[in-house]
Amino acid sequence: MKVDTLKGVFPVIFITLIVFVAVMLLSVVDGYTREQIEYQEEQKRLGMLTEMFPDMSEYDFEDDIYIIYADGAKIGYAFLAVGRGYGGTITILVGLENETTIKGIAVVSQSETPGLGARITESSFVDEFAGLNISEVAVKRDGGQIDALTGATISSRAVADAVRTTAMEKIKSLEEGE
Amino acid sequence: MGTLMKEFVKGIIITNPVFILALGLCPALAISTSLDNALGMTGGVFMVLLGSNIIISLIRKAVPNIVRIPTFIVIIATFVTIVTLVFHAYLPDLYESLGIFLPLIVVNCIILCRAEAFASKNPILASIADALGITVGFMLALLMISFLRQMLGTGSLSIFGVHLFTLPVLGENPMIIFILPPGAFLVIALLLALFRRMGVMKGE
Repeated sequence: MKVDTLKGVFPVIFITLIVFVAVMLLSVVDGYTREQIEYQEEQKRLGMLTEMFPDMSEYDFEDDIYIIYADGAKIGYAFLAVGRGYGGTITILVGLENETTIKGIAVVSQSETPGLGARITESSFVDEFAGLNISEVAVKRDGGQIDALTGATISSRAVADAVRTTAMEKIKSLEEGE
Repeated sequence: MGTLMKEFVKGIIITNPVFILALGLCPALAISTSLDNALGMTGGVFMVLLGSNIIISLIRKAVPNIVRIPTFIVIIATFVTIVTLVFHAYLPDLYESLGIFLPLIVVNCIILCRAEAFASKNPILASIADALGITVGFMLALLMISFLRQMLGTGSLSIFGVHLFTLPVLGENPMIIFILPPGAFLVIALLLALFRRMGVMKGE
């Protein structure tokens, strides 16, 4: 009888033990990698900002807007814009060199169709935005200056519209703040 | 040594995970849009498969039969989480490009299949050989599928950002369907048919 009970309980003890070891192991790995992961995320943000503003020496982050400085002088703004694409949300980092002109954009995350909509991350598309006036940011079919990607009008339009509307909002909030 | 070699080689053709066992088709269909993704996915699968095969082979005699599947899943999930954390911390670019498919290795049936069908019944060295063979078989299958899909679907081929070549006519008008999900089914079906025609499947 006693042996039978033990036999019945053993699998429960065994799996509990396995889960316990797994949790211990994972918390150790998490402890080792956590700092590095945070560092990578920070580097990624910093990398995107410096790519957009090569002269940047420091930045301030206030009200969801990065204010970019070069040797103490303000040289631009950057902020995140979120658009609704074909496959989900698209997050874009938008840089402005002043209150009216786009410095550049970079796609932070997207889940568009690989080979079609996902080409919004490629430089041939992203570079079209640089130097445009905010009001010109729209695909050509909508009366703007952006050439939509072949076969990916929805993704292209989502990026252009998100950049334009968010830039207008941020400019407004910056002007009100002053 | 001869048997270890046999365990290794069988994973490549005789029990090729994608073409013969027809396992792990979901990631094979989903991520085979570029050679980069194929190789990155193989790397993740390799680490998880090697780790889980070793541990499961080590504890195979202690595992009570009725909880063996939950045990395997916990072990596999642990390795997947470790691989995800390590990739995120030290290989951020690869982590970005694989996205959701990295944590999804946990439900890749190749790994559970090897745990259940092989590692839980065989000694550790044979299990390592099995993991290596299956990984190479998985890699070759993914490379074949993604080579065709990337080439036909985008009209050009590049690997790790290095442009290899652009096809003359397809470069202008790529057959986009091959990049989309239906293309994955078409390519895998054609390759399966080809393998069958060549008689590889009668191997054993």
